[in-house]
Amino acid sequence: MTAWGLAWRTIARSPARSVLAVVGVTVIGALLFDMLLLSRGLLVSFRDLLEAQDFDIRVVAAEGSMVHRPPIANATSLAEAIARLPQVRRVTLLRTESAQAIVPGGDHLRIALVGTTSAAAGSVWTMTSGASLPTVTAAGAPPPLVISTRLASELQLEPGSELQLRLFRPGTASALPLVAARVIGVAQFTFEAADEYTVATTMEGFAAAAGTRDSTVAEMVLVSSQKGAGAAAAAAIARLRPDVRALSNEQVMEQFNENAFSYFRQISTVLSSMTLAFAFLLIATLLTMSVNQRLGEVAALRALGFPRRRIAANLLWESVLLVGVGGVAALPVGGLLALALDRILRQMPGVPERLHFFVFEPRTVVLHAVLLSVTGALAAVYPIWLATSLPIAATLRREILS
Amino acid sequence: MNRVRASAFAAAFLIALAVPVATTAPADPPGILISRQLAEREHLHAGDLVSLALDATGSGARHFRIDGTYEPTPDPLRFTARRLEARMHLPDLIAMTADPADPAAAESLTAINVRLKDPQNAVRFSDAVTARVPGIVVRLTSRARDGSDPFVVLERFHVAVAVVTVLGSTAFLLALMVMRAEERRETIGIIRLIGISQRSILIEVLVEGLLIATAGAVFGILLAIATQGAVNQFFQWRYDTALVFVRVTRSIALQSIAVSVPLGILAGLVGSWTLLRRDVLALVGR
Repeated sequence: MTAWGLAWRTIARSPARSVLAVVGVTVIGALLFDMLLLSRGLLVSFRDLLEAQDFDIRVVAAEGSMVHRPPIANATSLAEAIARLPQVRRVTLLRTESAQAIVPGGDHLRIALVGTTSAAAGSVWTMTSGASLPTVTAAGAPPPLVISTRLASELQLEPGSELQLRLFRPGTASALPLVAARVIGVAQFTFEAADEYTVATTMEGFAAAAGTRDSTVAEMVLVSSQKGAGAAAAAAIARLRPDVRALSNEQVMEQFNENAFSYFRQISTVLSSMTLAFAFLLIATLLTMSVNQRLGEVAALRALGFPRRRIAANLLWESVLLVGVGGVAALPVGGLLALALDRILRQMPGVPERLHFFVFEPRTVVLHAVLLSVTGALAAVYPIWLATSLPIAATLRREILS
Repeated sequence: MNRVRASAFAAAFLIALAVPVATTAPADPPGILISRQLAEREHLHAGDLVSLALDATGSGARHFRIDGTYEPTPDPLRFTARRLEARMHLPDLIAMTADPADPAAAESLTAINVRLKDPQNAVRFSDAVTARVPGIVVRLTSRARDGSDPFVVLERFHVAVAVVTVLGSTAFLLALMVMRAEERRETIGIIRLIGISQRSILIEVLVEGLLIATAGAVFGILLAIATQGAVNQFFQWRYDTALVFVRVTRSIALQSIAVSVPLGILAGLVGSWTLLRRDVLALVGR
């Protein structure tokens, strides 16, 4: 009989014990799998969101960052200069502020008002009904609005509905007057948070809501470069104005990875390490107890001429079977658990609805398998040493006497 | 507002350039405090003269004397941020930042911290100020209950992870208890043969389980208390903050005992029950 066959028979002899051990490995393995998914989940999901936008360069004020974005003066002329660069395909401006949206004679909600240009359609948002923002707005016409599907559903709005806006001006002790606007489209916004309602309007519409005619101020310029010309475009933009900073998608991700995402990376590292240590201790304890119960049997096998190598292989196979079956079962269980944990974490305020904390990658499965295998092998070391170094005659004598 | 200006010490989170000054500094520049992190990074000490400006070009820079350094108040919402900060008297900050073309700029503040005589009146005070002064936001320092507190979500996440860990360890514990009961098969058989009732054996198992589970829970809590310092030191080093990340409180210790002791007893009972329901002769191998 091979070492594998002997290990299988040993495990099958105590089904209750083996099933419980496999269940334990499955649950701990599922937790390990989830922590590995968490370690890179935000990064992968955020990259997907950025790349789905079709803009590969973001221009912000030099003193700001992607989170704190001071206004860029004369952003319109900057956008025009960027659009003239041969490496650039598409440019759009972006400006955001909090506002109150009021249905005439009805409900009101706090919203995130985004001022932008028509080029943002299809990237910053995806239309579901109605029309996108126009390139030119007729003089005196109410600001056109593209609202999020959640806001449309909450306030029961549709293209053609009227909506009044009151912009909040931070740092000022006065309230701006209400501005009458008209909904022209409903869309899904890429970066809308679950606890947020987004409304987009033109830069002129935003300026009207802000009580000014100056529509040249923006806080970010989104740039889509020609294929393969991203770095050259970023360098050319940086040369245009010294007071702005052009960030590629990689640089944006690096900023978020260094700051916003690092807590989850650290916590996943700590929990992964603790999970592995826990799995090691428990598997080692189970195997050691199993060997202690079978000392007479091991001594008898050795007396019959079984070499130490086969005894060691037998115990190693036992560990492989427990960890292997539990590890494989951990993948679907971990997947389900990841869905539940993701749902919990996505309740965090301000997190875009399409951002996920747990994202599946094939490399995670490989890493999970390697880590569990190493843990299983290490956990088998002490029981193997115990079984292969026992004195045969003394053990047999003790077993017979007892 | 004037009272605030006269008494408040401004928290100036400037996007500033802190440059040691070699020459042309005024005889007695105003004093500032700088954060420990800024002092370490720029090798600054109390008594040094520095110039601060609002932009990287250094335009409109003003000279200050460092009177001391301070440890920034740990902020869980900003613990990943590098706390390169300076604190100065409010008039100095306004002199640096106010737009001369805007007459209201010298009277503008970012925030006013208020300590009420009776904290129970916080909600009423907040409502009254919001109604009287349009365009401002009044926030209570107590934890928000409207879903805007990210730590409530983090707490839920950690509880979920703890529940999964408890489930996994329960399965392992059951496996160990089944093995342990199997080891004592013959002993239990002999005890039953000499007339000890199943009830007495069960009580013995229960007491034994209680003792082992309590000892395990206490050991676990002691281990957590012993290692919390290492976890805190790691994260405090990683993020250069004084924030406390792990704290074993009495409530957490009691929760751990409340979960682990019943689970330990239950696992012991389940393991032993498999033996107690068997025929006594089968236990002794007859």
